[in-house]
Amino acid sequence: MSIDEYNGCAIVAMVGKDCVALATDTRFGVQRSTITTDFQRVFQMGPRLFVAMSGLVTDAYTVSARLKYRLNLYELRENRPVSPSVFVSMVSNLLYERRFGPYFSTPVIAGLDPTSGKPFIAGFDCIGDPSIGSDFITDGTAGEQLMGMCETFWRPDLNK
Amino acid sequence: MSRRYDSRTTMFSPEGRLYQVEYAMEAIGNAGTCLGILAKDGILLACEKRITNKLLDEIFETEKLYRLSPNMVCSVAGITSDANTLVNELRLIAQRYQLNYQESMPCEQLVASMCDVKQAYTQFGGKRPFGVSLLYAGWDHHFGLQLYQSDPSGNYSGWKATCIGANNAQAISSLDSDYKSDMSLQEAIPLAIKVMYKIMDQNKLTAEKLEIATVTRTDEGTTEMTIIPRETVAELITKREQEIAQETQK
Repeated sequence: MSIDEYNGCAIVAMVGKDCVALATDTRFGVQRSTITTDFQRVFQMGPRLFVAMSGLVTDAYTVSARLKYRLNLYELRENRPVSPSVFVSMVSNLLYERRFGPYFSTPVIAGLDPTSGKPFIAGFDCIGDPSIGSDFITDGTAGEQLMGMCETFWRPDLNK
Repeated sequence: MSRRYDSRTTMFSPEGRLYQVEYAMEAIGNAGTCLGILAKDGILLACEKRITNKLLDEIFETEKLYRLSPNMVCSVAGITSDANTLVNELRLIAQRYQLNYQESMPCEQLVASMCDVKQAYTQFGGKRPFGVSLLYAGWDHHFGLQLYQSDPSGNYSGWKATCIGANNAQAISSLDSDYKSDMSLQEAIPLAIKVMYKIMDQNKLTAEKLEIATVTRTDEGTTEMTIIPRETVAELITKREQEIAQETQK
């Protein structure tokens, strides 16, 4: 079993009409054992900005704490909420700093731009390559299965 | 003769004084006043703005008030560039604590950490002290709402009401007589205007020269800094001027 499959997870983010949706599973497992079924993988980074972390849980928590650190300093110095595109750069930079000893966790971002309200979703690999999505982003051990479901059911301008 | 001992920060004078620290405090005594009042439902910070040239482009929300962390705010009096360095360092200290302990840094600990940094500049390194005094206002679950003051020496203390900057002694004696410990914010705001008006009576007090903010706890359990709009400040100043006119008539 590879390190990305140690804890297991399923994450999907979708763009709708003036809205975004982000869903994760809530299973926390250690290989084939299930420890809890109420585990939180989504972290709020701003009033309309959420990050879901896939992969190894300890790295997921560490990356989101370090991200919040950088985000708080950004918002204090700039005196405004961060925009999703800048946040993508922040995440990418954080992950690439560990290029040769990466975090085994990949974030999925879903949010609305603070000024325009435009929906925004993005996914990454574990060393920070961003993929900005116009329709949906899937991640985790069930990533491929979710991709199939999204391709089948997603259409543009789905409302809340 | 004791001039020999004032150019090095790290030397005591024969009378046992640190001249560089005292000179730093002199610099602050010429800077714009900052007033802080601890009310039972919030903290009030009122600052005198010195830079009011109409050619200035107002891109910053505030000149002297800064958010340090989700639960703390500060106002500064002294050399602005020194203040920016200190505010930056305070923000980093608070975020490092948050990263390590996953909870907000308690107010006194943040003030104390910063003061340890400031003290270092008075004892070694050969660098001058920071020419800034700060008023810190914040909330934590240990002691609730708190108001602290720190100065270039690295000393700090907690206050119910205090003042830094120009004419601070006059303001403090005014607060001494008028402050009541169970004041509400609604009572503290006119008191702040009254004190600011008194100490600035040489240059007329106008709403452009004043920056007032309140630090309060919301029902959702967050700490908010609310800057009082200029129109409201102007109304409060007019009200105070009317009160003074009535008092002098009697």
